[in-house]
Amino acid sequence: MFPEATEVTTFLRRAMAFVLVGLMLYLGLYAASEYLIYKHARRNRFYMVKTAPSARYDHVVLGASHAAALDFEDMNARLEQMTGSRILNLSIVGAGITVNRLMLEYFLAGHQTTDVVYVVDSFAFYSREWNEDRLQDARLFYRAPFDPALARLLLRSQATRLVALDYIVGFSRINNPDRFKPDVSEEEATRFGRTYRPIRQIDQQRTGYLYPAKVDGPAVPRGRYLAEFEDLLRYGKSRNVRFVVIKPPIPQRIYRMIPGEGSFDAALKEILSRQGVGFHDFSLVGNDERFFYDTDHLNRAGVLNFFEHYLKGTLTSLARGAS
Amino acid sequence: MLFNSFPFLAFFAVLAASYYAIPHRHRWILLLGASLYFYAASKSNYVLLLLGITLVAYLAGLSIGASADRRKRTAILAAAVVAVLGALFVFKYYDFFAGSLDALIADVWPASARLRLPRPGLVVAAGLSFYTFSCVSYLADVYAGRLPPERHLGHFALYVAFFPKLLAGPIERARPFLSQLQQPVSFSGAAIASGLQLMLWGLFKKVVIADRLAPFVDAAYRQPELSSVADLALATYFFAFQLYCDFSGYSDIAIGAAKVLGIDLIENFRRPYFSTSVREFWSQRWHLSLTAWFRDYMYIPLGGNQGSQLRLSFNLMAVFLVSGLWHGANWTFVVWGGLNGLYLVVSLMTRRARKKVAGLVRLPAGLGSCLRGLLTFHLVLVTWVFFRAASLADATAILARVSRSAASLPRLIRARVTSGEILLSLALIGVLLVVEALDETRPFWERVRARPLFVRWALYYALLFSLIVLGTWKLQQFVYMQF
Repeated sequence: MFPEATEVTTFLRRAMAFVLVGLMLYLGLYAASEYLIYKHARRNRFYMVKTAPSARYDHVVLGASHAAALDFEDMNARLEQMTGSRILNLSIVGAGITVNRLMLEYFLAGHQTTDVVYVVDSFAFYSREWNEDRLQDARLFYRAPFDPALARLLLRSQATRLVALDYIVGFSRINNPDRFKPDVSEEEATRFGRTYRPIRQIDQQRTGYLYPAKVDGPAVPRGRYLAEFEDLLRYGKSRNVRFVVIKPPIPQRIYRMIPGEGSFDAALKEILSRQGVGFHDFSLVGNDERFFYDTDHLNRAGVLNFFEHYLKGTLTSLARGAS
Repeated sequence: MLFNSFPFLAFFAVLAASYYAIPHRHRWILLLGASLYFYAASKSNYVLLLLGITLVAYLAGLSIGASADRRKRTAILAAAVVAVLGALFVFKYYDFFAGSLDALIADVWPASARLRLPRPGLVVAAGLSFYTFSCVSYLADVYAGRLPPERHLGHFALYVAFFPKLLAGPIERARPFLSQLQQPVSFSGAAIASGLQLMLWGLFKKVVIADRLAPFVDAAYRQPELSSVADLALATYFFAFQLYCDFSGYSDIAIGAAKVLGIDLIENFRRPYFSTSVREFWSQRWHLSLTAWFRDYMYIPLGGNQGSQLRLSFNLMAVFLVSGLWHGANWTFVVWGGLNGLYLVVSLMTRRARKKVAGLVRLPAGLGSCLRGLLTFHLVLVTWVFFRAASLADATAILARVSRSAASLPRLIRARVTSGEILLSLALIGVLLVVEALDETRPFWERVRARPLFVRWALYYALLFSLIVLGTWKLQQFVYMQF
């Protein structure tokens, strides 16, 4: 039995009117959420690209949390001052190759850079969690203002179609529970100035969290992410961007606990030499215990020491090479 | 597939549109297919178990109906009930009983420590407690002659598996459900709107209130020894509302979704925290479909209200202990059930004394019921500590710590209520209570329907946009789905 046509028509007409009014109200919310992003966003990397004051940079920093610490407080401004170059730090906590690739492509869609300083963390090569899964984390886009260029990039990949949809309709931005809070991580806000006192159990928990029990098992996608990394280097070349890869300082006791770091370094160096990319391994320099605010992240004194004694020289010689 | 997820909302929209586009005689096929898809999509690997139990109940119902021999009918009923509840036992309780038995034997005979009962490590099938109870009630009704056996296998399977009620009830009875399947459902804008209203309100309770309270409760109860007394007390109050909003939210979405499809399910909640006695809480307001099930299929067969006070007390305790165990294979649930049973037994035994006291101390009617309501709420609150705690030791430690600081609790809690998140949570509980208070005297949605269109729409938009702006969309499972 088919329903009475008039009742259905009336219902559908009313439902349509309800949806239309709802859409208009939603647009209002959308605009309000964009306004709040521009008011409160600070560290969100997509926001930083969208509002970057310069079209051209000397160095763009990519990587995960170890690179993010180089941008805490006024560290990036100090590095710019030390090196006399324009630097934009686009590293994201917990970000592997896939996320950094998106970040770089988004940046290059509207800006230029001479170099990319890629701060490599081996853990990011061992799991989807830091790559495809991380890319689908709506929190990455909580404070990302709407930009058609980013929407296009997200729509391009099958893995990020849902994220793209969410980004375009703005649901996560409107739903962001931290909408009124300052856009600064807890680490930067409260821990960056501290010094960590090593506790073996916490060290073990940290490495256990970052690395799989067997780093060379068939289920570990290291080879795939190394290939993606090489592809990223090729992409950089095609856009006239020079890469330099560095490994950040980490405490010696943590370094010893990382499984398979030797074989990872060997594989990485092979790729870098194939692509003609410079590599600076700072893992075991400037890594005094007093330079870390937790198990493995540089604190303020550690970052300044790293800038002064190691990174400044690398960036200046890069700049000289470029000129 | 959870009710509080976008895939469900899309699934339901497509289903509802298709439902009204096809003729009535084919709709059961669509609903059954959709229900099985919903079950399979709910991370449940137990579709075959659901179908197996359905088939056992269906065939047993037919056999009971076909036989005139009382002994044979009883034997079939017993066998079918054992098969159905046996599945429930194996999947839900076996590990718990094996563990308890092992511990008991090890205490009595330490040399047996190496002997352990095998543990298959089965995962509880989603909705098993609910649909096995539906099957048992059907079999009991057919056996008692209250219901003819259902001959249409598809209709019967739909009764068991109907997706809105499959995972967490309401525990629907066969007669009203099956008779509705016979009636052609014509499109009714008013019925659909009314179903959508309920779904919206249910989602609001779940996504905006319950899931907002959940992290605070989880944090306090995860390691109660590390939580402050104020946090434990506040978390216990919050848990009362989290559980209510979670479960009644689920029921509202289930009843609303069924209503959109032209099927009425039974009411499951009636503003339980407005109860003025524990008896009223259980018999008229909280999880009504389960209470009615235990009343009809356990309490009355045990003798019900007939017999001595001792017998009555035994019946009540037995029902509540089993009801506790039904909720979960853990001693905390058994104690929770026992405590509720104890409340009712004490209330029964002190009925005369309380009447005398009430006659002597004449309070104004409003104040009296308000005080009784507060007392009832706090008695229930004590039981929720056992319901929520991970172990009996945790529950008793929480109660001991909170009761030791009872005198200073109001001050401690006031001092704790500082963050915007807690204030927002309290405000949302306030909104819930206002709506429920209005509902007490006249159904809230009836009041809404009597208002002009723009007022109604303003309310719908307010609820919808609070889902979008304030909702927690982390796909948190409904609490009662674990039972």
